[in-house]
Amino acid sequence: MKNRKLVRTTIGRPSQKREQNKMKDQPEQPIEIIKKHTSQINDVIYKKVLTDDGLVTVIYSNSLVEKMTLQIMVLMPLANHLNQIHQVSEIMDLSKLEEIYFKLISGYTLLYFHQTNLLVGLDTYSAPSRTITNTETESTVIGPQDSFTESLETNISLVKRRIRNPMLKNENRIIGSETNTNISILYIDDIVNKENLETVRSRIDKINYPAFNDISILKQLMEDNPYSPFPQFYLTVRPDSISHYLIDGRIAILMDSSQSAIICPTSFLEMFVSIEDYYNRWTTASLLRFLRFFGFFLTIMITPMYVSTLTFHPEILPYELLLNLQESRAKVPFPPLFEVLFIELIIEVLREAGSRMPAKVGQTIGIVGGIVIGTAAVEAGLISNILIVLVATSALLSFLPPIFLMSNTSRFVRYIFILSAGMFGLMGQMLAFAWLIAHLLRLNSLGTPFMSPIIPRKAGDLKDGIFRFPITFLRNKTGISRSQKK
Amino acid sequence: MSTNKRKLLNSYHVVFLAQSSMFGTGILTLPQRLSSLGYSEAFFPLLLGIIASLTLWPMIWIMSKYPNENLFRINELLLGKWIGKSMNMLFIFQFTLFLAAIISNYMQLIQTTALPEQSTTIPVLLLILLLIYIVNGGIKSVARFCMMAFFLTIPLLYFLRWAIEKGDVSHIFPLFNYNLKEMVEAIRKGYLSILGYELILFYYPYILNQKKAFKHALLGVWISIILCLITTFVSVMYYSEWQLKNVEFTVLQLFKAGELTFIERIDIIGMTMWVFLVLSTMAAYLWSAKKGLDSIRSKKNKLHIYIIAAVVFLIIILPYSHEIREKLFEVSYYAGYLLIVWPIFLSIVHLLRKKKVQQ
Amino acid sequence: MKVKFIPIVFTFCLTMLAGCTAKELKIPLEDIGMVGVMAFDYLDEEQSQITVAIPQYDPQAKEHTQIFSVSSDLISKGIVEIETLSDKKIVLNQLRVVLVNEQFALHGDVQNAIKQLYRNAEVGNKVLIAVVKESAGDMLKGEYPDKPSVIFYLNDLLQPSINTAFNPNTNIHDFMYTQTNPVFDSIVPFLETKDGKIEIDGIALFKGEVMHKRLSTNEGLIIQALQGRKKLAPLNIELKKEKLLIDLIDSKVKIKSNKNLEEPKLNIELKMSGTLIEFRGERENNLKSVDEIAELEKDVNEKVKQDISKFLEELKKIEVDPIGLTENFRMHYKGNWDKALTNETISKLEWDIQVDTSILSTGILR
Repeated sequence: MKNRKLVRTTIGRPSQKREQNKMKDQPEQPIEIIKKHTSQINDVIYKKVLTDDGLVTVIYSNSLVEKMTLQIMVLMPLANHLNQIHQVSEIMDLSKLEEIYFKLISGYTLLYFHQTNLLVGLDTYSAPSRTITNTETESTVIGPQDSFTESLETNISLVKRRIRNPMLKNENRIIGSETNTNISILYIDDIVNKENLETVRSRIDKINYPAFNDISILKQLMEDNPYSPFPQFYLTVRPDSISHYLIDGRIAILMDSSQSAIICPTSFLEMFVSIEDYYNRWTTASLLRFLRFFGFFLTIMITPMYVSTLTFHPEILPYELLLNLQESRAKVPFPPLFEVLFIELIIEVLREAGSRMPAKVGQTIGIVGGIVIGTAAVEAGLISNILIVLVATSALLSFLPPIFLMSNTSRFVRYIFILSAGMFGLMGQMLAFAWLIAHLLRLNSLGTPFMSPIIPRKAGDLKDGIFRFPITFLRNKTGISRSQKK
Repeated sequence: MSTNKRKLLNSYHVVFLAQSSMFGTGILTLPQRLSSLGYSEAFFPLLLGIIASLTLWPMIWIMSKYPNENLFRINELLLGKWIGKSMNMLFIFQFTLFLAAIISNYMQLIQTTALPEQSTTIPVLLLILLLIYIVNGGIKSVARFCMMAFFLTIPLLYFLRWAIEKGDVSHIFPLFNYNLKEMVEAIRKGYLSILGYELILFYYPYILNQKKAFKHALLGVWISIILCLITTFVSVMYYSEWQLKNVEFTVLQLFKAGELTFIERIDIIGMTMWVFLVLSTMAAYLWSAKKGLDSIRSKKNKLHIYIIAAVVFLIIILPYSHEIREKLFEVSYYAGYLLIVWPIFLSIVHLLRKKKVQQ
Repeated sequence: MKVKFIPIVFTFCLTMLAGCTAKELKIPLEDIGMVGVMAFDYLDEEQSQITVAIPQYDPQAKEHTQIFSVSSDLISKGIVEIETLSDKKIVLNQLRVVLVNEQFALHGDVQNAIKQLYRNAEVGNKVLIAVVKESAGDMLKGEYPDKPSVIFYLNDLLQPSINTAFNPNTNIHDFMYTQTNPVFDSIVPFLETKDGKIEIDGIALFKGEVMHKRLSTNEGLIIQALQGRKKLAPLNIELKKEKLLIDLIDSKVKIKSNKNLEEPKLNIELKMSGTLIEFRGERENNLKSVDEIAELEKDVNEKVKQDISKFLEELKKIEVDPIGLTENFRMHYKGNWDKALTNETISKLEWDIQVDTSILSTGILR
């Protein structure tokens, strides 16, 4: 850092000696106070520049401000058009040292005019940002392809570009006692339900957590029932999805350095809604939604069904199929429950291994796991071949929900079902199912029942439920958001 | 949010609470209970429904006089603290026994169909835990569960298709082929199956639109009655009179008539699905019993649910003779009839008191 | 807050309890012997011989079906005895066919044997019943080289399907229903082994609890037609000099009673429509115009009417009612209807039959 003393009269880090000298002969200058106060920030740079208004000290944090930005926004105007600086900068209160300190670490450049004893600040924060790219987690065939990046400003601008409405407000807040992360609450003022908004605000204010590295942490802290395996807020990286829900009267929360955004309140059914549904024809969209929704129930039911029929109720299956099963299970050393748990765990391992690997190696893992282990295990008589089919189907089905958190949940819930099926067969399964329903019925998302529209807030919501009606029917706002406008 | 308000129940909540609390395990044995009528039982649920509607009216009437109190409080208000409280004790006792009776009936059925050669202690425990979980959410959670239970189990009606195909409609003739003695017997035994609508005495104060409560509850009652009617009608078509009398769990056998290509035994799926109906009925009873305990001890405590549930569990698993247990359950059924006529008595007391005050 | 822990506790309990059940571990599927066919043979009044057929799935085994045979007085006792012979646990979950030999049907207590199965919740409703000439056990033990297994052979044979020509299938519920309903007498298909093949040869007619008589296939067809079955097997008719076969497409029956128990009279209207598939005889080349076909229809009507009349006459003589004709009187009778009333009514029964056959086409040849 010290070798940067190239510019005219730069003082990188004032030597102890000089400071002592100054202390002796004159009263403490404001600049010295600032220096003292900001001494904890290691990369603060002080530059003295002689301008038309006399000596000016430029203070900025080296890692937060890019050279180019500094040159264009500060140094060039300083040398040529001093007025420009005065017009765009904000005047800072010299006595509020905390604020000054905070501005510095958020990427402001401070200018201290020695002659007039004036401190002004300019926002020169130049965050390292990547360009807007396609989404990989929620890609669609039809519809806009842009997705959020990790920059809050970019994300907000992506939303504002879609909703050109003066009523679209964003409220900025800073959370995280250690990280001081910027978040922004987005809503449309004349549509959003004020009660919901108040709940969101108070919940955010109540949060006391040191670090927010992703918005999903905030989501878990804000949810109505943090112990539930089900996500109660919608998480998306798609700006079109956000804008769809904002117009419906929901509240979106965006966070700096996080790609996804929260939408709340939401419902269980919406966990199976992809924004692409609205771009597809209603027939296709309805079919796909139906598939996703029942896929969820199938994926938690198929393998438990295998366990319970084989251990408890062989009479359910047709005779011929049963004999096939008997034959394929003849060499299997485990009881059905362990057989299913074994193969399900292998699938989990494959999935986990595949997702951590680089894409090219991941493919190999898929082939090794899927084909080699699968076929070999059946041939070795470790598992029955019918089970392989069932497990593979249910694994595929579990990927149907467009929200990844939901598909994770279905994986977890499935184990509860398998265990209860292993204990009490269909009875156990139904008990688990009753638990699932009771649990879902008790869940709330920001006070709205999670099971709406099945537990209707408004009968009209059913038009956009398991089936999506043609777009002309969907002009009204949903009951979930309890919006001011109809 | 809405949970802080006292009035919680929308109109459809009332409909399904009234409907589901009636429609539990009773229906499974209804055709057998009515079998003293022989084939003429087909339309008998209609009569039961009329009786139910007639007795529902005084309930709503007395409740509308005290729109913010449940029956336990009204008992105390009208009959004085001591008589009221002992009456309440009786009702709570009845509810507890009734709960035990429902679970033990259902578990007996499960043991014969789905879990042969297995002890049912743990399933009973799980069932009760689940029940506590539902009831802990309050009456609204119970109402929602009732609604889901209704919509999840209503497709089971489809499985009656095969029984209808095989059955013979001519069995319902001649109409009214019974005498008074047989009819009284049928009412005595069969009315039990449609008990449950009287629980409106306890959740009435939570109803949003109390003026229309009668209409909604009546709708719920008649949905149940129509389902009962379908059941008895199909049973009459499908069975011989001897079978009606002797086949326990008639509905189970009705499900057995059908088969899909990939599922051969619908009865097992049907009976295990029935757990939803059982849970919704029981949840309403447990909630009411909890309210009763609240009012007797004059404070609200979540612990009360656990106490009642524990008692129910003990009644079911304690090893005493089958006979005593059956007797005990029988007593609870008749106490249930008392609750049906109780509002009429209360209405009279209410009118007498009013006169006194006016004088 | 306490409440919110319950799902976790619940899950935890489930997980923990999974350990508990390990002790009373259920027998896995591959160790279960699922009885497919059960056969009863008459020994004496007390004892009967029970034979069961259990499929053998192991591809290395030579025989595809295991047959066990014991003599016992109670069914469940027999099952326990069979279990000692077998290497597997014997269950009745997938029972498909119950065979009873003629002797047992004539002298034994068929109703009781079936009732025991009907009582058992494990046994489904799909169990078909048949009476076998001579020994039912031998039928199971017999060799059927062109069939994979006797279980499927019997099951498919007795299975109701449109393709099988004549099939008075009777399952366990039907049997109990007809046994306990006073207006009915049971009928059960009658099986016979002929040259290493099993054949449905007529039906066994029960009177009360025991078999009374064997009826021919054609008589069985009449029973089915009068019971109101829509789809019937092809009708074989022999006129004086002609033979024809009609493939019935639809049949409808309307029975009306005069509601009088003293002089019971039935008015039976049978409407049949079908296609003529084969014809041999005088008029073979003359069936071209509508009038000629109408002429033929008339003859067929007369013949069918005679057949039915003859059959009913016979029923009247032996006082049984497999069709449920007396149901038409019961419908209008207040009070308890019992078997004696049925028998009495049937013995006094008069009837009036109208048959209306319509031949829809005679094939594509002119």
